[in-house]
Amino acid sequence: MNNTALQGSPGAALRPKSGRWKRMVRNRYIYLMILPGLLYFILFKYIPMFGLIISFQDYQPYKGIMGSDWVGLEHFRRLFTDSEFWVIFKNTLVVFVVNIVFYFPVPIILAVMLNEVANSYFKRIVQTIVYVPHFLSWVIIVSISFVMLTMDGGIINELLAYFGFEPINFLMSSAWFRPIYVLQVIWREAGWGTIVYLAAMAAIDPGLYEAARMDGAGRFQQIWHITLPGIRTVVIVLLILKIGSVLDTSFEHIYLLLNSMNKNVAEILDTFVYTAGLKQGQFSFSTAVGLFKSVIGLILVMFSNWLAKKFGEEGIY
Amino acid sequence: MGNNVNRMKWVSAFCSLTVATAVFAGCGKNSDESAGDSGKTGGDSGPVKITVMADLQTTEVPSDKIEKLLEEKTNAQFDIQWVPDGSYDEKFQAAFATGSLPQVVYLKNSASFVLLRDAIKNGQFWEIGPYLKDYPNLKNLNPQILKNTEVGGKIYTLYQERQPARSGLIYRKDWADKLGIPAPKTVDDLYNMLKKFKEADLAGGGKTIPLADRNDLVYGSFKTLSMYFGTPNNWGIQDGKLVPDFMTKGYMDTMKFMKKLRDEGLINQDFPVTSKTDQQNLMYTGRSGAYIGTMGDVKTMQEKTEKNVPGAVFDVTNEIAGVNGKPVTWGLSGYGTLIVFPKSSIKTEAELKKILGVMDQFYAADVANLLKYGVEGEHYTMKDGKVLPVSDSKLIEKEVRPYLNMALADTTNVKPSYYTMPVAEKANTLSNNAEKFMITDPTASLDSKTYNEKGARLQEQIKDATYQFIMGKIDEAGFQAAVKKWQNDGGQKIIDEFNESYKSSGGK
Repeated sequence: MNNTALQGSPGAALRPKSGRWKRMVRNRYIYLMILPGLLYFILFKYIPMFGLIISFQDYQPYKGIMGSDWVGLEHFRRLFTDSEFWVIFKNTLVVFVVNIVFYFPVPIILAVMLNEVANSYFKRIVQTIVYVPHFLSWVIIVSISFVMLTMDGGIINELLAYFGFEPINFLMSSAWFRPIYVLQVIWREAGWGTIVYLAAMAAIDPGLYEAARMDGAGRFQQIWHITLPGIRTVVIVLLILKIGSVLDTSFEHIYLLLNSMNKNVAEILDTFVYTAGLKQGQFSFSTAVGLFKSVIGLILVMFSNWLAKKFGEEGIY
Repeated sequence: MGNNVNRMKWVSAFCSLTVATAVFAGCGKNSDESAGDSGKTGGDSGPVKITVMADLQTTEVPSDKIEKLLEEKTNAQFDIQWVPDGSYDEKFQAAFATGSLPQVVYLKNSASFVLLRDAIKNGQFWEIGPYLKDYPNLKNLNPQILKNTEVGGKIYTLYQERQPARSGLIYRKDWADKLGIPAPKTVDDLYNMLKKFKEADLAGGGKTIPLADRNDLVYGSFKTLSMYFGTPNNWGIQDGKLVPDFMTKGYMDTMKFMKKLRDEGLINQDFPVTSKTDQQNLMYTGRSGAYIGTMGDVKTMQEKTEKNVPGAVFDVTNEIAGVNGKPVTWGLSGYGTLIVFPKSSIKTEAELKKILGVMDQFYAADVANLLKYGVEGEHYTMKDGKVLPVSDSKLIEKEVRPYLNMALADTTNVKPSYYTMPVAEKANTLSNNAEKFMITDPTASLDSKTYNEKGARLQEQIKDATYQFIMGKIDEAGFQAAVKKWQNDGGQKIIDEFNESYKSSGGK
């Protein structure tokens, strides 16, 4: 909104409402360009929200949304009194925190390192190599890990045995679940995550580095005082976006890692929705769980946006 | 400026075009579907149009060769939606929830059927019982098996015939012979065989994994082993009352046995997360010497293993004695899977009758043989009045195998198989013989509202606890706590409801 206000005619300041309308009419073709995106959100995000109604019903497919009985907050009551609920809730938050604390800084560090590489051939080769895992599906990544980590001839356990250590039951241990999870996330996504940071670094005025060198700043001082502050805004925006998406994007990955032995740490709200809802046909209950998860996600995003503004950054809205 | 405006016009035209295409694409799809719908009901002449959802257990959708022949023979036009086995239940639930199930729906297995009972009771599917007598083949269906598929005393499904007791032990005969071990007759024999396999390390390099198992407590080793310890099939009768298998001593003994196997390295250490493919690869590569599952798998196992390990010879047995000294195994309730007829897609009785008329022919010899074996002269030849499949197993896999899941007749009205491999014939004979001593699930035709609602989810807790016990993560008290939790979360209600249903059905 700030930008358009700057472009506005002098009259706009006096009569803001009609002025805004005028500007919209004048820039109608630009506004038209947001139409496809808007339609996408209406069709695939807002209209389906209507379906949330079934979380307050005892939804039966053949009766339909109009015909199913209302049960009020029954499903939420069941959820909050379920003996497993708090464990699942905790696991979800831990996955979230682990992602933010251990994964999020990695692409930044990697981008800074790539930015410091002088030889452009070497840099491009490294970049290509670290991008590749992003294009593999989780199924493949989890399968590769499985083959490496299994106790029945996996290379890691063979190595441990070779050096005289006891084999470790990586795949079915609660303790190893989170480390394996976050390492896989880093392996797949860290390279791809550098793209935006590298672009932001490219936009930093080279004059700043020159001036710093003249003042006798070393490599690390340049990184600390120029590169990092230069990408600060991008980092904040990406962090807020990440916070919003973490809760949604971990499902497929975690579902693949989940088994009877690590369930106490690996079951999250999304996997719970999937098993209860799609596999066992408890549509209303799983919708209630999904709604609850969305509320958590919303709170987290609003909180981080508020925090960003507190620290004098722009935030995303 | 004028230039700019012109450009803008192009942009907006492009945008509206994009949007319009998207909208029209949506409409186009809808009109296609409605055209298909009206086609199904309209017109008495011409072939009956039938939409089908079927389980695809091979990697690829089959060529339509057999489908064409099937359409010719049944005077119908099939639209088959093949859904991969791995995601069948999810796909089914999603289609069910959105009311988009086709007209003839194959369920994945009897467990999927349990989840449907409630919906069936609520009139979501056609009751077909009263119509069966009008069709030449349907009227001859086995009444006992139909009874096992009843919901509230009514018949809603057609069943797929299956040999009920196919489970047994497949083992490396060449290994056993080398070590002088006879075919195991008791569970102790089996244990000793596995132990000797391990000690002799016939795979070499300390890599021998005597028993290969997978992440399945039913079709893997666990359930079959549990029979030898006197565990009932899902539910058993103790002091005149029904109790779930995991509350019996036999179940606990089986878990202890499995734990012992794992602790002593007689089974693959990661079996709770091992897939069927990985499990079978352990056999194919010659690392493992024993496999508990469908005995008929021995044919593929022999073929694939002898390529990697020359001299590998397999044998099968299911005559392993239980606690009372006699052979024992578990049996299905007479069917492999079931088909249901959703009311959401079959609108009228007349339409249902037509479809039943087509499905009726699935049990007739002509169609039954086509679906099971393919085309004579192309996929098989006749030898001594028996069916001998051609040696090109890839052709069979591509053109015939997927239709086996659609076939409804498997034992009656089909030509007998000719076995080139004696051990495969033995597997078949043993499965047939096992019908005399197999134990079936007494709750197959009983009903429990709570079980229908959350039995599957509760069972998941027991499954987890079972694995945790075998892996040594919880002890006996821990397992009992899990059972207690199962009871409190609704299990006790399930027990009570089943017992009530059991009593009212005459206690048999």
